[in-house]
Amino acid sequence: MIFRQNRHGHLSPCFVKELLMRITILAFLLTINGILMAGSTSGQDLSTIKVSIDLSNTSLKTAIRKIEAISHLPFSYRTSDIAGLTSLTYKASDISLEKVLADLLIHNGLQYELVNGNVIIKKTKAVAASTKNISADKADTPADGGIKGRVTNPKGEPLVNASISLLGHKQGTTADENGYFSIPNLKPGRYQVQISAVGYGTEIRIVEVKDNSTATIDLQLSDKTNMTEVTVTALGIRKEKRSLGYAAQEVSGDALEASHQPNIVNALQGQAAGLQINSGGGAPGQGAKIILRGINSLDPSRDFQPLFVIDGIPIDNTTDVNDGSELKGMGNRASDINPDDIESINILKGGAATALYGLRASTGAIIITTKSGKAGKLRGGFTSTGTIDRSDMAPETQGVYTQGWLGVYDSTSFWPAWGPTIAAAKAIDPTHPDHLFDNYKHGYKTGHSLRNSLNFSGGTDKAIVSASLSEFNQGGIMPFTNYRNYSGKVSGEFKFSDKFRFGASVNYINSGGRHGDADRYNEEMTYFSPRWDMWNYMLPDGTQKTIIGSTNDNPIYVLWGKKYEDDVDRVIGNMHFTWSPVKWLDINYRAGVDRYTDSRTQTTPGPLGLTDEIYPAGDFYYGRIFQYNIKNTVLNSTLMLNFKNDIGRHLNSSFKIGHDLFQTRRTTVYTEGDTLTVPTFYSFDNAKKVIATSTQRDYRIIGLFGDWTLGWDNFLYLDVTGRNDWTSTLPQQNRSFFYPSASLSWIFSENFHLPVWTSYGKLRFSAAKVGKDAAPYATSTGYMIDAALSPIPAQRFERSNQEGDANLRPEFTTSYEGGVELKFLRNRIGLDFTYYNNTSKDLVIPVKVPVTTGDDQIYLNAGSIRNQGVEISLTGTPVQTKDFRWDIRVNYTSNHNKVLSIYPGLTEIPISSQFGYLSADVTQKFVPGMPVGALYGRTYQRYFGSAHEDPAVLDRSKPMLIGPDGFPVLNAASKQQYLANSQPTWIGNLSTTVRYKSLSLYLLFDTQQGVHKYNQLANFMSAFGLQKGSLNRNDVTVFKGVLADGTPNTKAVWLGQGVGPDGVNYGNGYYRNVYRGGSETFVEDASWFRLRTASLAYTFPDKWMSKTTFLSGATLSFSGNNLWIHTKWSGFDPESSSNGSGNVADGFNGFSYPAVRSYILSLNLNF
Amino acid sequence: MKKLLYIFLAAILTGGLTGCKKYLDKLDNPNLVTDPPLNGLLAQGTYRTGYSVFEMGDITSYYVQYLAGNTKGSDADVYNPVDYSSTWSDSYASMMNIKQMILKAQTDRAWLHLGVGQVLMALNLNMLINTFGDVPYSNALEGKNNIIPTFDKQQALHDTCQALLDAAITNLQRTDASLKLDAGSDVIHTGDAAAWLKSAYALKARFLNQWSKTSSYNATGILTALGNAYTSNADDAALLSFNGRSPWNGVAYNNTQLDLDGWLSTQIVNAMNGTNYPLKDPRLPRIASITKYGDYRGTQNGAGRIGTGTNQEESYLSVTGFYSATNAPLLIVTYAETKFIEAEAALRSGDPGRAYDAYLDGIRANMDKVGVAAADRDAYVNDPGISVGKANISFDLIFKEKYLAMLLNPEAWVDARRYDYKYKNFSLPVGAAIPTFIRRLNYPTIEISRNASNIPPVKGLDEKLVWDQ
Repeated sequence: MIFRQNRHGHLSPCFVKELLMRITILAFLLTINGILMAGSTSGQDLSTIKVSIDLSNTSLKTAIRKIEAISHLPFSYRTSDIAGLTSLTYKASDISLEKVLADLLIHNGLQYELVNGNVIIKKTKAVAASTKNISADKADTPADGGIKGRVTNPKGEPLVNASISLLGHKQGTTADENGYFSIPNLKPGRYQVQISAVGYGTEIRIVEVKDNSTATIDLQLSDKTNMTEVTVTALGIRKEKRSLGYAAQEVSGDALEASHQPNIVNALQGQAAGLQINSGGGAPGQGAKIILRGINSLDPSRDFQPLFVIDGIPIDNTTDVNDGSELKGMGNRASDINPDDIESINILKGGAATALYGLRASTGAIIITTKSGKAGKLRGGFTSTGTIDRSDMAPETQGVYTQGWLGVYDSTSFWPAWGPTIAAAKAIDPTHPDHLFDNYKHGYKTGHSLRNSLNFSGGTDKAIVSASLSEFNQGGIMPFTNYRNYSGKVSGEFKFSDKFRFGASVNYINSGGRHGDADRYNEEMTYFSPRWDMWNYMLPDGTQKTIIGSTNDNPIYVLWGKKYEDDVDRVIGNMHFTWSPVKWLDINYRAGVDRYTDSRTQTTPGPLGLTDEIYPAGDFYYGRIFQYNIKNTVLNSTLMLNFKNDIGRHLNSSFKIGHDLFQTRRTTVYTEGDTLTVPTFYSFDNAKKVIATSTQRDYRIIGLFGDWTLGWDNFLYLDVTGRNDWTSTLPQQNRSFFYPSASLSWIFSENFHLPVWTSYGKLRFSAAKVGKDAAPYATSTGYMIDAALSPIPAQRFERSNQEGDANLRPEFTTSYEGGVELKFLRNRIGLDFTYYNNTSKDLVIPVKVPVTTGDDQIYLNAGSIRNQGVEISLTGTPVQTKDFRWDIRVNYTSNHNKVLSIYPGLTEIPISSQFGYLSADVTQKFVPGMPVGALYGRTYQRYFGSAHEDPAVLDRSKPMLIGPDGFPVLNAASKQQYLANSQPTWIGNLSTTVRYKSLSLYLLFDTQQGVHKYNQLANFMSAFGLQKGSLNRNDVTVFKGVLADGTPNTKAVWLGQGVGPDGVNYGNGYYRNVYRGGSETFVEDASWFRLRTASLAYTFPDKWMSKTTFLSGATLSFSGNNLWIHTKWSGFDPESSSNGSGNVADGFNGFSYPAVRSYILSLNLNF
Repeated sequence: MKKLLYIFLAAILTGGLTGCKKYLDKLDNPNLVTDPPLNGLLAQGTYRTGYSVFEMGDITSYYVQYLAGNTKGSDADVYNPVDYSSTWSDSYASMMNIKQMILKAQTDRAWLHLGVGQVLMALNLNMLINTFGDVPYSNALEGKNNIIPTFDKQQALHDTCQALLDAAITNLQRTDASLKLDAGSDVIHTGDAAAWLKSAYALKARFLNQWSKTSSYNATGILTALGNAYTSNADDAALLSFNGRSPWNGVAYNNTQLDLDGWLSTQIVNAMNGTNYPLKDPRLPRIASITKYGDYRGTQNGAGRIGTGTNQEESYLSVTGFYSATNAPLLIVTYAETKFIEAEAALRSGDPGRAYDAYLDGIRANMDKVGVAAADRDAYVNDPGISVGKANISFDLIFKEKYLAMLLNPEAWVDARRYDYKYKNFSLPVGAAIPTFIRRLNYPTIEISRNASNIPPVKGLDEKLVWDQ
């Protein structure tokens, strides 16, 4: 590529921008012009396409390929029709294509037809007739059998001109305008019928033909074949899939629909290789986290998730928890998108795939294409989905020992379960219930949701308009939590002429609801003795009802009073046009805006001041109101010039250059009113003290990019890209940076004679470098102004404990990727294998430095990290008959990452830490040589004898050291050891679809293996005597292990509290004195295997539909999510997370919002 | 759609017209001030230092048994390792701010601000070394310029504290300062440079007195410094302005709202309610809440509460008490403390007469400070158990009375260790994790995690600091 460069070797953005601006304005003027001229359109006319051609003793197949390359018209034919034509010689220059085709085809008994821009070659009727004659001649007996049927696309529309041929025979035909076909005069026997159509797949059916009967096959062809399969790549560029030199996986809207997940990120679970998705939990509207090919950034505050692009417009996917809502299950903003609107999702994983998007997609990109209308009559669809949710897993509790301490019952005790058995307690307190409440189950109820979606589309070939509306309401399983999402979308595509097309869409969304702090709720449930029913939470006067004397608040009352709601108003709009002023140039322009306000309010009542009122001050803050208002605007503009050209006979070329502008502004205002005078009047005027803080963040990027795709004879493709970004977040001298990519695709099955069972083979290789800037304001340091004091109203200026580096440089990720795609047995089996290796260097990290520096964190170009892994996708169709079809898809992903280095002198960068009793805190850290998910915590001492201990890593193979008191010995709290990795070693999923006539069954099994997380809940449960394991609390045991001298421990000890049967005083007991202090106990295997989705769908027969006057189709489905889980984890669903979906830390999951098992009934009507 | 067209047209045009450089010039954080006023730093420096005294006091008060945990076997009570990362972080953040104030004051020739900064720095550093031992200082607080600070020896840092105070004493006496201390920003001495000078001397005496167990004890130096220190309660250094409730008031108030906190230990209550000594201390009703039995009862450290915790079966810091009332000043260094330092130094230098007078003055000063009526004060002071005569003045008496007068102040833990916890009836907490009294704290997790290679080894919480040998 050649760009004009300035003295520093960089492109001058001003020059380019000015130029592009001029082009843009010109384009606009022409747009208006185009609108005025619209009206006179003509179909593609082969007589106007002039070509020059020189054929010498070539086959018709080669000839057609050449013409395809010259004319850019796709040709379609049955190989058998043209197989015999092997030696053509033809030479002409500047001749109309119409003439060329006539010359080449007509004389060979062929004819052609132009259908939707495709040239379809078929035998002339006379030849077809003669075929029949040949067939008849060869028949020993008159053949009266035949095959007839109808070919449709997945939407049930007829596939006009679909090609039907009998393999191994010469008969064949094409479907008529209603999709019907018929092949008469076949002798009895088994026939392999091959059906194919342009833009659709090829299917082969075995059909038994009998005398005097006509076999009927109706079949649907799936969209796209591997020959012409087109996929959406970066910047909305559609490319033939075969030309891609990198892995690309597409997920269809149908696959997403099966799970009926309200959050599109959750819906993607198990749908593609290389994708790691973790839902935060089952809260209504709760966010989910998505990671492509591992974490390649060490900045825990930076977005590590892929860029979300909807219809070419990057949208915001922030999960904002800056108002202290980290544990409230806030939604990631992509969850605003109505999943019913989605047509397909393309997942761009590697550096080469996302290179054109530049730094914003350095963590991958999720390209969402929404449903668009189709020309023709007005169509409509209505979907109603109802869901019932239950908590899918809960920790097991002991259920025997009740409230008290040292085994002594006390109905006012702070201690929920260190008392005696229920029977012993009942002897003292007859009001004691027969069974303890199992709070972790008792505290969650049945949730439910209902979504209704309506969509319309229709139009002419010049204007297509579509609209959709949806409403979603959900009530959570945690009391008082709910979520709603209302969405309306209108879009239109207008074709003013062959040279100018224009489209636009607007999507309005309102979402939000009431969130509860599941972390706090579960924590309070741990304190609240299971002897009492917490649903009995309020006294008639409205004050709290809790366990008198225990000082513990009632968890449900706290939830009731702490009302936290968010309310998002969002508009996503985009417009785009394509102008093709000349044959070799397309000018594409796309602009979009994503703007939302998120208004959040939390209120807690003040004390009513009543006698005996037990006021939960720790949660209600004596009456408080706060508001957090976010305004976020993303503007995006992309101009792209696409130069199409052919160089010589074999080489075709597509060269694109473009300009990209990205601008965001985020402002927030936080206002808090303290201590309400009137306890339940939520107005700032009613607060004793009001404080407010505001923030503003601007972020801008200008990009200039080029993409050159070269194709050689449709089997070898080379794609080279380059992009230069100018960012607002780096200092001026480092602001501009360039990075290239190259990818190669070779369809080797076109060059080699592969075994017959191999139908397709492709090798691909790519290398890319992607730059990334710093977070906004990472270069600056300064002072905050704190709230004024009282009574002396001093205004304090406090140095921010985050320091910037004014010399930050961009970080770069270099990635290499290689892969192979194979298809066997006429595409019945497909294999896609990818290996990648990504190394990121000079990472900009807000390094958590020793606070003794005076800073908490400093932005530095500090470290490097490597991700490498394999992705394997396997697809197969083991059975396929007329009425029965079985499809299987398997995805396997294994990513290994390693922190290569951090800042010199630093040994670790802590990412997140969670409390544990007795210093059993667990910390996730970046440590050189370790994976990003490394979890550290407090361990038990091991016996090493003369062996040397690595103090940094726990060695579980060594025997436990038992102290002189007979108990295991905890290491010092300061000796934090590596316990486990929170990143999965592999992710796999298997989906299978079985269709029988109108019934289809879909199953999706999903697994993440090798995951470890800190179960904070288990630590708390052991401190409070709740866990099932503590049933042995009154046992005498000998701990397995060795004494300091290496001899085996033989000392019997009692596990209970107080004086044991041996007369020794054991104080607070083993569980509180020892057990709860070992982090290693609570970092559990959080691997799981689950039936993610099971769905049974029934499509009502057409004949029923035709009886109604308005329906054209109806489907009823019954689905379930998380119906079965297998895991060693002892808490709530191990997939959930204590951290918000925007947080890179994934090693913590204790008091999370439980995930849900959903039962879903859905009805879809088309009219 | 038209609107949309205009939006992106405007976006492009704006970008183009204003120029790329300007378009991308978004480096300056609009949420931060780059050049703060010196008095704004003074406000933060004085406030945060006062608050650090509270945070430290909230740790040490359990070890000297002013306070006791309300749950059985609570970690702080029973000498289990507790992670004090937030106090550590707050102290260093506070010192970083003070350092910025010192640097700016030097540049601006604002000598008074410089002097105040040096006093505040010395106070913060001294609290840290007496709690954690060796801590980073000489190459700490340098931000990006040194991101791996090393630890300095305690001994050297004690010298640093003295040096800081000496420099402060010089600066606070300069008359050519470019800027006055702003009364509305200085929330310790309300802009009174003379008061700061006295505080510098008072702290100098306190720090020197910390070496009483060692041969480097310098009684003369202490008495000299005290000659320039406080002369009355009015001189006391205290935090006077707050962000919300004053710290101990917040503790007491939370307790009334069942967020249990601020429970008084049996040790302090028994020292004042007539149990350990026959005399009832008139200060007790000015400090503690009365029980439902109409008397004052403490909670034994490590034993936790006996009843429900909500039934006034024990005494707590009172929401109307001297230390914990609304807007109660948070005492940093007091005239009473200086009198007890004087008593100790005089006695050690062989002047029991001066020691005895200072001892009685110390008691009276604290009684007055706490708000005891003159008659009650005098009745207490004139009791033969207190007014023992100069021939009978002893370290036991001085330490006992200083213990009562230093309530909630972190310096009380230094005293307790210097005195080897020999207060009457002072006993190990119930279920103590180590068999001896606590002598120091572990380094907090936040420093272990981020500065692992430099953390000095700690043998245990019974390891004695340099002046405690």
